[in-house]
Amino acid sequence: MRSRTPSGMRLVNLLLSGWTGLVFLFLYLPIVLLVVYSFNASRLAIVWEGFTFRWYEQLWHEFTAHLADERRSALIESMGNSVIIAAATTGLSVLLGTAGGWLLHRYRFPALRTISTLIFIPMIIPEIIMGISLLIFFKTVEMELGFATVIISHVTFCFPFVLVAVQARLAGLDPSLEEAAMDLGATPLKAFWHVMVPYLLPAIISGALMSFTLSMDELIVTYFTRGPKSETLPIKVYGMAKVGLNPLLNTISTVFIVGTAMLVICAELLKGTARRSREPG
Amino acid sequence: MTPGTGQLPEIQGAQRRPGLRGWLLFAPLMLWLFAFVIAPTAIMFVYSFCQRDELGQVVFEFSLSNYTRVFDKTYLKIFTNSIQYAAITTVICLLVGYPVAYFIGRASEQIRNKLLMLVMIPFWTSFLIRTYAWMSILKAEGPLNGMLLYMQLIAAPLDILYTPAAVVIGLVYSYLPFMILPIYGSVEKLDNALIEAAFDLGAGPVSAFSHVIVPLTRPGIFAGVLLVFIPAIGMFAITDLMGGGRVPMIGNVIQNQFGQARDWPFGAALGMTMLLLFAACFALSMRKSDAA
Amino acid sequence: MKRIGGLIYLLAIAIVAFLVGCKKDEPAAPAPGAGSAKAPAAAAVGKELNLFAWSEYIPEDVITGFTKETGVKVNYETYASNEEMLSKLLAGGTKYDLIQPSEYVIEALVKQNKLEALDHAKLTNLKNIVADLRDMPHDPGLKYSVPWMVGFVGIVVNTDKVKDPVKGFKDVFQDKYKGRIVALNDNREIVAWAMMTHGIDVNQMTPENLEKVKPTVEKWIKLVKVFDSDSPKTAMMNGDVDIGVVWSGEGAILANTDKKYAFVIPEEGARQYIDNLAIPKGAPNAEGAHLFINYILRPEVSKLVSDKFPYTNPNSEARKLLTPEQLKNPASYPEIKSKQTFRDIGKAASDLDKMVTDLKAAAN
Repeated sequence: MRSRTPSGMRLVNLLLSGWTGLVFLFLYLPIVLLVVYSFNASRLAIVWEGFTFRWYEQLWHEFTAHLADERRSALIESMGNSVIIAAATTGLSVLLGTAGGWLLHRYRFPALRTISTLIFIPMIIPEIIMGISLLIFFKTVEMELGFATVIISHVTFCFPFVLVAVQARLAGLDPSLEEAAMDLGATPLKAFWHVMVPYLLPAIISGALMSFTLSMDELIVTYFTRGPKSETLPIKVYGMAKVGLNPLLNTISTVFIVGTAMLVICAELLKGTARRSREPG
Repeated sequence: MTPGTGQLPEIQGAQRRPGLRGWLLFAPLMLWLFAFVIAPTAIMFVYSFCQRDELGQVVFEFSLSNYTRVFDKTYLKIFTNSIQYAAITTVICLLVGYPVAYFIGRASEQIRNKLLMLVMIPFWTSFLIRTYAWMSILKAEGPLNGMLLYMQLIAAPLDILYTPAAVVIGLVYSYLPFMILPIYGSVEKLDNALIEAAFDLGAGPVSAFSHVIVPLTRPGIFAGVLLVFIPAIGMFAITDLMGGGRVPMIGNVIQNQFGQARDWPFGAALGMTMLLLFAACFALSMRKSDAA
Repeated sequence: MKRIGGLIYLLAIAIVAFLVGCKKDEPAAPAPGAGSAKAPAAAAVGKELNLFAWSEYIPEDVITGFTKETGVKVNYETYASNEEMLSKLLAGGTKYDLIQPSEYVIEALVKQNKLEALDHAKLTNLKNIVADLRDMPHDPGLKYSVPWMVGFVGIVVNTDKVKDPVKGFKDVFQDKYKGRIVALNDNREIVAWAMMTHGIDVNQMTPENLEKVKPTVEKWIKLVKVFDSDSPKTAMMNGDVDIGVVWSGEGAILANTDKKYAFVIPEEGARQYIDNLAIPKGAPNAEGAHLFINYILRPEVSKLVSDKFPYTNPNSEARKLLTPEQLKNPASYPEIKSKQTFRDIGKAASDLDKMVTDLKAAAN
């Protein structure tokens, strides 16, 4: 194999990994600052005033009191709401976006260009217009504002991201691939599950990641479509900026980021052990 | 493929006309589009031809005046400004993001998804927290200037925050993942044999890249450009926070119409113009690639 | 694979149906009479109160205290600007019981008959409001609104960097401070400052007056480095600007962090803003809303708000409970020669927005 990788290619690989490292540094630079500032003694989280664990203690107290139902913590509640909304949004967007992308590839629908353009409307339309028009729509059909309306709105602007990723992945693929699998004796269900899903998986994962991220961070559409009980983290944070960003925000973000990173690594490790035990040697 | 049949250029092979089943499967997506995209957009379309009352409520009285106002030179200038920032952001994201997407797509299977997650995780904090973090990095007395001064690369603190450079940094930071992820999807399916064949035929890395890799990953590049450029046009929160709010973006102007200016119909007209502009560009780009 | 596709779609439809359904199942917010167990005196008080108010403006202790006493559950939905609130209210969001608009919005809402008249018989603590806030032009006699907190727009100065005395807007907007100024990112504010400097009433938003102040606004916009309404203190504390025109609440926070920050009420005039509680037309739980207003008018409750947010408390009895330090903060209880409040300017808002947008776009 070595002879197949020319030395020029190895140099390119080295450069690529170096560049990727630099870009990761860029992506994590503000996160590092955020983690550092979560130990900042200053109440306003703008100027460094010394090291403290105080915010972590306070977060823990708020968390336990919230769980024990003693004292409601708006911050923790909004964080929970955001995760619930983002998870539901991701699930629905993946279903809608994957199926849509695949069907548009599989069949020759009339007015395809019009349909494709329509799918992009939620991406181009300014958030405030989308927010207000959806609010007017929900009011017209008499839907009560709350989690459902927020999730529907989020899916509307998230699923195009999944669809675009899936379409890019499908580009150039022969639509009759599955039929070939079926000709070899697989049922349609098996053919889809064993041929299409694995093939589309990288696009589905990246689409899901984009949906989750967009939903976690959306402010304006959420503001208009939320009900009195569905405050999300971005809305809470935006409001807090007025009285000074509380260091608790840095703390809760740190906990969330480190928590998810740990989860990813643990899942990966578990998968690794499972694989090794299945394939001895 | 015959041009002008209205199908996407990338799609080849045995595409079929949808039968009843095809349409049934497609129905939920169409329903979703009708209910949550077309209906609300139609409401705004109607509003864009209306007038408003003192409180800012929409009065149904037909008029084209909102659209004639859109073509005022101030708003045209603001439109071009926003498109400029979006274009610069897209180009930088592509240049910075492509090698990363390529690296992740070519990495071993075990670490690919982990790397993708790592690209996204920073964005699971709130936008405002991230932006404030960037602002404290770039500020006059911030760590970046401190480091540059310490290394004696500069004599006086650089003025970065509240300049167009800061805005571009903020925009590139926010949109980079949306360039990396779709390109990754295209790179991941590249066939190693093709690249090796290019080398076997004597191509250097550069020509292998430009003649084999780029054409094969074009759908991913196209998707990435779309996902960055389009949302970036309407973005104004970053320009406000990192640019100091001095340069109005089209997003600001529209937001203001629904806020302080209390002129929803004009805001709707601006939004509809953006939409039409996009639709025209999109249709044009599709026709062009059809012809190619 | 068609079957699988169908399954996916069925699942998607089921989830949507579930989402829609579960929203409908929730009990409607107002259930008249049901909340009477804990508050027998008020039989018509609903179980829940939908409060739509500024974010970070009503301490959680106040809400918890109210719920403990009356058994009414408070749903606190927030907004970050009057205009945001107005947009959602006009588009017809949730049925709110209590909103918290500023004075000029109260006036606009009253004009359009969008507010319920208050029943003063139920507001036994209304007498605590200081006299000079009872007859403001936006709502004479407090027929529709009760003041919550009062603030000002003023000048904040980093005295380490700015040595010259600063008394008014004309001292701020000078060529020598170019690139060192922060200002509120609010088109009406900057125009109002220019009008005060010209000695024009800030509410006479006529085309002639706009034309008159245009050159001033044009010049000022070029001098400003940062426009920020949400957190102007950030640019100040970061050291990127040394002088600015900000909300008094922001000024008070700055003054509390460091002695070097001075808060000055501009001599040309102080723009006073009054945030109020009001009940929108058709509120399902107007009874509960009255109860809440009367609750926050209690001196000891109002003091809780002052402890958390350094604005001017309109409650004369509550002021007696404050510490001397609180009363001494110049950003909270300033001495003011001439006060100006914003009135509703109707459609002129759009002309003003156009002018400032033009000037900002041309400045770059």
